[in-house]
Amino acid sequence: MNRKKGDKGFESPRPYKLTHQVVCINNINFQRKSVVGYVELTIFPTVANLNRIKLNSKQCRIYRVRVNDLEAAFIYNDPTLEVCHHESKQRNLNYFSNAYAAAVSAVDPDAGNGELCIKVPSELWKHVDELKVLKVHINFSLDQPKGGLHFVVPNMEGNMAERGAHVFSCGYQNSTRFWFPCVDSYSELCTWKLEYTVDAAMVAVSNGDLVETVYTHDMRKKTFHYMLTIPTAASNISLAIGPFEILVDPYMHEVTHFCLPQLLPLLKHTTSYLHEVFEFYEEILTCRYPYSCFKTVFIDEAYVEVAAYASMSIFSTNLLHSAMIIDETPLTRRCLAQALAQQFFGCFISRMSWSDEWVLKGISGYIYGLWMKKTFGVNEYRHWIKQELDQIVAYELKTGGVLLHPIFGGGKEKDNPASHLHFSIKHPHTLSWEYYTMFQCKAHLVMRLIENRISMEFMLQVFNKLLSLASTASSQKFQSHMWSQMLVSTSGFLKSISNVSGKDIQPLIKQWVDQSGVVKFYGSFAFNRKRNVLELEIKQDYTSPGTQKYVGPLKVTVQELDGSFNHTLQIEENSLKHDIPCHSKSRRNKKKKIPLMNGEEVDMDLSAMDADSPLLWIRIDPDMSVLRKVEFEQSDFMWQYQLRYERDVVAQEEAILALEKFPTPASRLALTDILEQEQCFYRVRMMACFCLAKIANSMVSTWTGPPAMKSLFTRMFCCKTCPNIVKTNNFMNFQSYFLQKTMPVAMALLRDVHNLCPKEVLMFILDLIKYNDNRKNKFSDNYYRAELIDALANSVTPAVSVNNEVRTLDNLNPDVRLILEEITRFLNMEKLLPSYRHTITVSCLKAIRVLQKNGHVPSDPALFKSYAEYGHFVDVRIAALEAVVDYTKVDRSYEELQWLLTMVQNDPVPYIRHKILDMLTKNPPFTKNMESPLCNEALVDQLWKLMNSGTSHDWRLRCGAVDLYFTLFGLSRPSCLPLPELGLVLNLKEKKAVLNPTIIPESVANNQEPVNSTNNHGQSVGFQNTFSNSQEEEEIDMDTVHDSQAFIYHHLNMLERPSTPGKEQSSGEINMHPVSAAPLSVFSKESNSSKHSDHHHHHHHEHKKKKKKHKHKHKHKHKHDTKEKEKDPFAFSNSPASARSIRSPSLSD
Amino acid sequence: MRTAPHGSKMADAASGGSGTRPGSKQAGTPADNYHLARRRTLQVVVSSLLTEAGFESAEKAAVETLTEMIQSYISEIGRSAKSYCEHTARTQPTLSDIVVTLVEMGFNVETLPAYAKRSQRMVITAPPVTNQPVTPKALTAGQNKPHPSHIPGHFPEFPDPHTYIKTPTYREPVSDYQVLREKAASQRRDVERALTRFMAKTGETQSLFKDDVSTFPLIAARPFTVPYLTALLPSELEMQQMEETDSSEQDEQTDTENLPLHMSTDDSGPEKENASVLQQNTSLAGSRNGEENVIDNPYLRPVKKPKIRRKK
Repeated sequence: MNRKKGDKGFESPRPYKLTHQVVCINNINFQRKSVVGYVELTIFPTVANLNRIKLNSKQCRIYRVRVNDLEAAFIYNDPTLEVCHHESKQRNLNYFSNAYAAAVSAVDPDAGNGELCIKVPSELWKHVDELKVLKVHINFSLDQPKGGLHFVVPNMEGNMAERGAHVFSCGYQNSTRFWFPCVDSYSELCTWKLEYTVDAAMVAVSNGDLVETVYTHDMRKKTFHYMLTIPTAASNISLAIGPFEILVDPYMHEVTHFCLPQLLPLLKHTTSYLHEVFEFYEEILTCRYPYSCFKTVFIDEAYVEVAAYASMSIFSTNLLHSAMIIDETPLTRRCLAQALAQQFFGCFISRMSWSDEWVLKGISGYIYGLWMKKTFGVNEYRHWIKQELDQIVAYELKTGGVLLHPIFGGGKEKDNPASHLHFSIKHPHTLSWEYYTMFQCKAHLVMRLIENRISMEFMLQVFNKLLSLASTASSQKFQSHMWSQMLVSTSGFLKSISNVSGKDIQPLIKQWVDQSGVVKFYGSFAFNRKRNVLELEIKQDYTSPGTQKYVGPLKVTVQELDGSFNHTLQIEENSLKHDIPCHSKSRRNKKKKIPLMNGEEVDMDLSAMDADSPLLWIRIDPDMSVLRKVEFEQSDFMWQYQLRYERDVVAQEEAILALEKFPTPASRLALTDILEQEQCFYRVRMMACFCLAKIANSMVSTWTGPPAMKSLFTRMFCCKTCPNIVKTNNFMNFQSYFLQKTMPVAMALLRDVHNLCPKEVLMFILDLIKYNDNRKNKFSDNYYRAELIDALANSVTPAVSVNNEVRTLDNLNPDVRLILEEITRFLNMEKLLPSYRHTITVSCLKAIRVLQKNGHVPSDPALFKSYAEYGHFVDVRIAALEAVVDYTKVDRSYEELQWLLTMVQNDPVPYIRHKILDMLTKNPPFTKNMESPLCNEALVDQLWKLMNSGTSHDWRLRCGAVDLYFTLFGLSRPSCLPLPELGLVLNLKEKKAVLNPTIIPESVANNQEPVNSTNNHGQSVGFQNTFSNSQEEEEIDMDTVHDSQAFIYHHLNMLERPSTPGKEQSSGEINMHPVSAAPLSVFSKESNSSKHSDHHHHHHHEHKKKKKKHKHKHKHKHKHDTKEKEKDPFAFSNSPASARSIRSPSLSD
Repeated sequence: MRTAPHGSKMADAASGGSGTRPGSKQAGTPADNYHLARRRTLQVVVSSLLTEAGFESAEKAAVETLTEMIQSYISEIGRSAKSYCEHTARTQPTLSDIVVTLVEMGFNVETLPAYAKRSQRMVITAPPVTNQPVTPKALTAGQNKPHPSHIPGHFPEFPDPHTYIKTPTYREPVSDYQVLREKAASQRRDVERALTRFMAKTGETQSLFKDDVSTFPLIAARPFTVPYLTALLPSELEMQQMEETDSSEQDEQTDTENLPLHMSTDDSGPEKENASVLQQNTSLAGSRNGEENVIDNPYLRPVKKPKIRRKK
């Protein structure tokens, strides 16, 4: 990203401006999974000497390119197909990550690059010099795309519409290039015309307004014509085609919902709420929804649950639910709200560059948070904020920081702001998925911090300003230079903030946006009775990875007998201690109500507290206005007071967490009271259940009375007359529903003195299952039953095994027999009466794995493998795969690991592929410092191939493979690889293949032999030494890395128009040599040798070293992809165009 | 070919269908013999009628066909007559039943006496006497109850006593809540277990224990072609409930939709074909667009014909 950051606005990295693009897909074949179509880009040159046009395109087979109806030469080169070209023995991740980042840069549209380079025909040069419009027409097709477009074709009888076959676009960040050639950048906006010809029984849903639908002449197909007049980035273009059922929103007729056949009733229910989300956003933003229509499409095998595109969103069909489902409802509504927030910020307003991504994610996440607050209440909102905060803190401490606004100066590796990570954060496509998730999380938390600083009113004004600027710009149909107003940048956003609020938030930005890391506070206190002063000590850890030093204000809230008081401390460099004067004298005898923060006055039993101190509890940063982790020490009774009387749910949750360390009867009482209190937030009560179970286990020797929570549950949910029988289900009160679900799960964690689950508890849970009766309930009980199975699983303790006996039925523990009985019945009933989302199957599979792991049932992955097959519901598959992953780890099974990796390569569902890698990374069969029989050279090879070339069609998957490689082997050379006998020799060997006869003509004769017999390395080592550069061994790595980038530049420059004067200095020299027939002869010579990639790759390296003394054109480069593919079973490279481009006019002129 | 005089053929055959007569013994089962004898008589009848009509010989196939026809005809008379008689609550057909039947079948009854008395008629010998097959008697258990005095003797006998025997119960129905719940629970559990075991027995299974496949049989996991349907759709029962609520919601919608305004404004043009669809979904468009008042969702518009063809 070479662009200079400036306030002047947007400077395009391209020598032209795209104003309009036509995408026409004439034919979609579901049987063959292929697409045929063309695109036409209308571009205006911005420099007189525009001679080549770089576009993005992946996977597409390009047949023909015409510029203003003249045939144009083009070259297709995608270095990301195979990141490291030669058969490297390096195998270290550092090397790979650098090479990968370089490869992505080389085609990065934000740097003006692309995979497809089109030469403007010489006849048009004059035309271009006058900066006249060019129309680039590209015919392309796609055959069995592996990414970008996903086909779902159920294997059954009937035509495609009857089968419910559908196709949709998908991907992570800018992935539109996977399905049509475009400028795949969020910053290149243009208007669109989209045409799709589909089977008459199908519907094509895409961006913008559906202008008309016209039958083809044979009346068998129809063409959907879409116009999108709001300038939009290609990355926000999407498509979904299928036999959808259509539902016009009854409240807003511009909104249309689509779902797969038979699901219409679910769709009606699911979307019935959407109009309220619309109203909310439009009201707070005081801005109309920017597009004239909105479409929601629910599809199967979704890549992500929610994907937002211009004027439409693609959702997973699994979000649909009926009115009987409780648990899914809030989750689905959240997804809808998220998608809609991104319509404003993300789709309508786009970003200038990748480093501005945080603004969009931050704003959309922030307004989504406001919607949550309004819809689910302040408690839910604060709980969510805390959850997000905990997550980001944990992640940053683990990995060493998330940087929202990376600035890349000069491109020097030493300045890399993310050197602690095993991937580059320069591009969205090199990011680990988890990092990106956390990035989004941090972005909205930081927006909240800005709101804290400038007030919500100003915040919303800023948003409104951004939106109104954008909508003014978007209506300027013929002034495309205005369109950059629709792009948001970090500096523009900050400027807007300072204009609107007049406040300087630079320190805040510096701390949280320009810098990574979170703050770690340790707090403790002492009460000085004489001075009536609270002596608070706050320490920071800013040396651990992922931390940073905080300097600035910090709010501390002290609840005293006389009331609650806020203090703002100034955290400075060296001051650890802070004296806070107390307002109240210590305990007074007269009984008086104690005022709380919210003005409420309550009676408290003060007998527990320290008689000398007026302090009830202390909270550091109660508003979460710093991204921090606080470890605060206060005595148990203070936590108990905080739990009982502090009204903030976050405080309550913190208290519950702290009380785990104080297993006393007083803690028990406090928790029980909270559990019973109906006004208390249900999530706090749920959390209290688990804490109570932990406390009970710690107190097991002194525990009196029935097992924890049993009598409580009986009182709340069982019949008055017969307390052992649970009432028939009635889930009208959601709070008690959630509690009823959770309590048995927590109770099952109880253990007696022998560390077994008490028989009483197990019987109790079995009775709950037995007497469960849902006949009169308005809601489905599938989640409740699933949790009861989870409870059964929780009650399982390790089997007492004698002499490693084989697990058989005969020696089955009687309790386990009962549990198995239930699981068997539940799992079998699922086949006859399946539950919503098969929640019960999921729980059963998990429980079976628990039984296996604890040695009650023979450990065997066969069952899970059958449930993991394609064709089961995705939740079931994930649960089964998780069990297989766990089995792989516990039993160190190479076979299962292979099975999983095969699935990563072959499974039809991208989400499953991604998820397997994710689960393997989270629960790895071994890690880098571990000896394991699984860790062998073949596995290294396999994973290397997977990330090097096997996953080039899916950025998320590739990054997932990188994550796994990192977890298993670390950054450096995997330990299981045999040490290279002589490092230098090894590298030299590499070099040998590198030597290119055309550079050093006199060596051709000598070199010919070793080239042709590549195995025959040893002999020529000495000889090669003379040619290889004399640098140290370590540097060779880096060279090759730069090399690949340079090679690509070089490669693309070859098409440089000879007459171009000094546009790019580096290419100037090359241009002196006309594109002649010379390369052709080189090419034909080269094609005899087997190691193409090595040749040209290193050839160029040499080339550079020789300071460009030898300037030859080598046009064979693009050939290597296809060659490599044939050789390598794991190379999934798919660059059909490359083969074609060899014959393209560029080579023959 | 012999001839024998015979009276009312139809009546004979009709009654013959139900009557019992002893017959000669031949090979085959008694039932076969019986039916063969009857058929032979019919063949004789057909032959004599043919002779009467002046034929000297006939192909076997022709005779067979005619026999088949006459047999069908007679059977139909019998079946129809039986229906008429049962219609009037009798068990035995009377003459009038036959007459009505014949009339209904389009036969001129008036001509029958004259035909029966025609001079050249041949007399056919009575069919050989064969045993009607004995239907095995149902196992009788106990003494059938005699008819009480108010039931006429010709009414059928009471069925065997075991078919209407009842055992009086003396226990009060259980109304205790606990017991009821207990019962419901164990009943459901038994049903579920039996059902799943049955399914497991009859289909493929998986097992958690390699040495024992029967104690905890798991019905084998079978992939679906469209997995999301079973996972998302409620069961049929639940579906019904939902549809009820849905339709009521829709009613409300259409109520508001039918507000006076437009309807007439947009009747023109090609939309007519789809008018019904439109109407269903028509309602007041939000004032947002301010363009049209009719719901004008592009996805509801009719698909246009290809342009060139229209010009032609």
